[in-house]
Amino acid sequence: MTRAVIELDRVDRYFGAHPAVLDLSFAVMEGEIVALLGRTGAGKSTALHMIMGVLEPTGGTVRVEGLDPYAQFKALRGKLSVSFQNDRLLPWRSAWENVALGLDILGFDRETQRSRAIEWLENVKIVGAENVRKYPHELSGGMRQRVSLARALCVDPALVLLDESFSQLDHVTSKALRADFTELVRRLGKTCVLITHRIDDALEMADRILVLAAPARLALEVRVTRAGRADPGWLEAQHAAIAAAMGGEDEDRGEAA
Amino acid sequence: MSTRIDPETAPGIEPPAPAGAERNYFKRDLIGSVVVIALIAFGMEAWSWVAPVYIMPSIVLTGDEILTILVEDYIHIVTTILRLLFAVAFSLVAGSLIGVVMGIVRPAEPFIKALVVIFTGVPALSWMLFAIFWFRGTEERVFFILAVILIPFYALNVYDGIKALSTDLVEVVETFRPSRWQVFRLLILPHIVPYILMTTKSIIGYAARMTAFAELVSVNTGMGARMGLAQDELNMQGVIGWTILLVIVNLGVQAIVAWAEKRLLKWRPEVSVR
Repeated sequence: MTRAVIELDRVDRYFGAHPAVLDLSFAVMEGEIVALLGRTGAGKSTALHMIMGVLEPTGGTVRVEGLDPYAQFKALRGKLSVSFQNDRLLPWRSAWENVALGLDILGFDRETQRSRAIEWLENVKIVGAENVRKYPHELSGGMRQRVSLARALCVDPALVLLDESFSQLDHVTSKALRADFTELVRRLGKTCVLITHRIDDALEMADRILVLAAPARLALEVRVTRAGRADPGWLEAQHAAIAAAMGGEDEDRGEAA
Repeated sequence: MSTRIDPETAPGIEPPAPAGAERNYFKRDLIGSVVVIALIAFGMEAWSWVAPVYIMPSIVLTGDEILTILVEDYIHIVTTILRLLFAVAFSLVAGSLIGVVMGIVRPAEPFIKALVVIFTGVPALSWMLFAIFWFRGTEERVFFILAVILIPFYALNVYDGIKALSTDLVEVVETFRPSRWQVFRLLILPHIVPYILMTTKSIIGYAARMTAFAELVSVNTGMGARMGLAQDELNMQGVIGWTILLVIVNLGVQAIVAWAEKRLLKWRPEVSVR
């Protein structure tokens, strides 16, 4: 972890008179997996949109790879990609064509697009000529989300943003996909920001958890080590502390259990 | 194309009918069509026994007339088909472009929309009369009439299509920082194809009838003009013969559109609602 891939410095974002993000500062280092954790309305999606460059901060500065993602929108081409809560696959493109979307935009020829897309589908455990040619409506929810993750990783971005990417899947599928994705991202050394409202997801995947309380300001920062993740007592204590910082119980815990 | 939809994840949606069921539907439709055609033919024949030939000619006379048309006057059928296809193709491109501009260029939207809506309110007959005054050439007249009638249908439907574009899909494409041309090629164009095909499917029968009507009013070639000539000569078997051929042309063009739709929209799930 040598340099900051993302830097937010005293960032505010107002919608009218309503502050969605207030005086938010943090940095994400290269190769780090950071979870932005908060309840609905805590401002985590607003923070994500500012990192993506689709929303301009009202105050403060946002830097991604040293660039202003809003003002220098095109300069971050190929350096940043996003996977969303719902898969958002283009219905007219097959699985491999969806994965190749970013490569198409980056100007790769069709043969390269196809071979790299198939390679990435294999990385997310979608194999077989028949499966890669399927259209989104022919895939299960879990497979569609895997395609969405492969699409985000296929352009070899420096930064991967996940916006509640696992929250619409059933518990078993979500757990398997989280494990596969985390292993893949760590192996590739990608920097990743995970937006979630589930404490267990954050504790399982992230190196560092930034807990946001509405309007988005840093309420707690937790570093998660491999030893801590293996210790049920430590996990339980962190879970309680994070829940308190978020302002209540983890609403998904019962469901997840 | 076969589709798999999990009924548990898509409640209320049934998997598409299996291939066998599709064949049964086709067989049922075919039987229905044959029965209706036979009944119409029988009705016409029975009427011809009691009516003079200028009111209802017999099936044999009409059949002879159709054969004569196919041998001697086929050039008029070809002319009508070419006029129809050329005008529809032009209207598809021009109307879709106007619809895209309406949908994505905000400052132009209210002006173009008002113009298109006003055009849809002008009766087809008025356009035909304008064409006779404005154009000397016969081809220009038919082309103009069809284009001004068909372009607004494409423009409005494509405009509606762009308005229905999912913001989720726009956002996901934009995360890769595409150029405006790439947004059009990768997102807008494939999204509006179903709207273009739906419009073509809806207007093709109307366009075929309008082509014949425009030919009847403004030119002396094509199926409509020949039908007018048959009427002038009190040649009822000619009128019926041209009508039957027009119906066949209409059905043929519709079949081509249906085939194109099936090929171009193979990505769409075939669903039926309980």
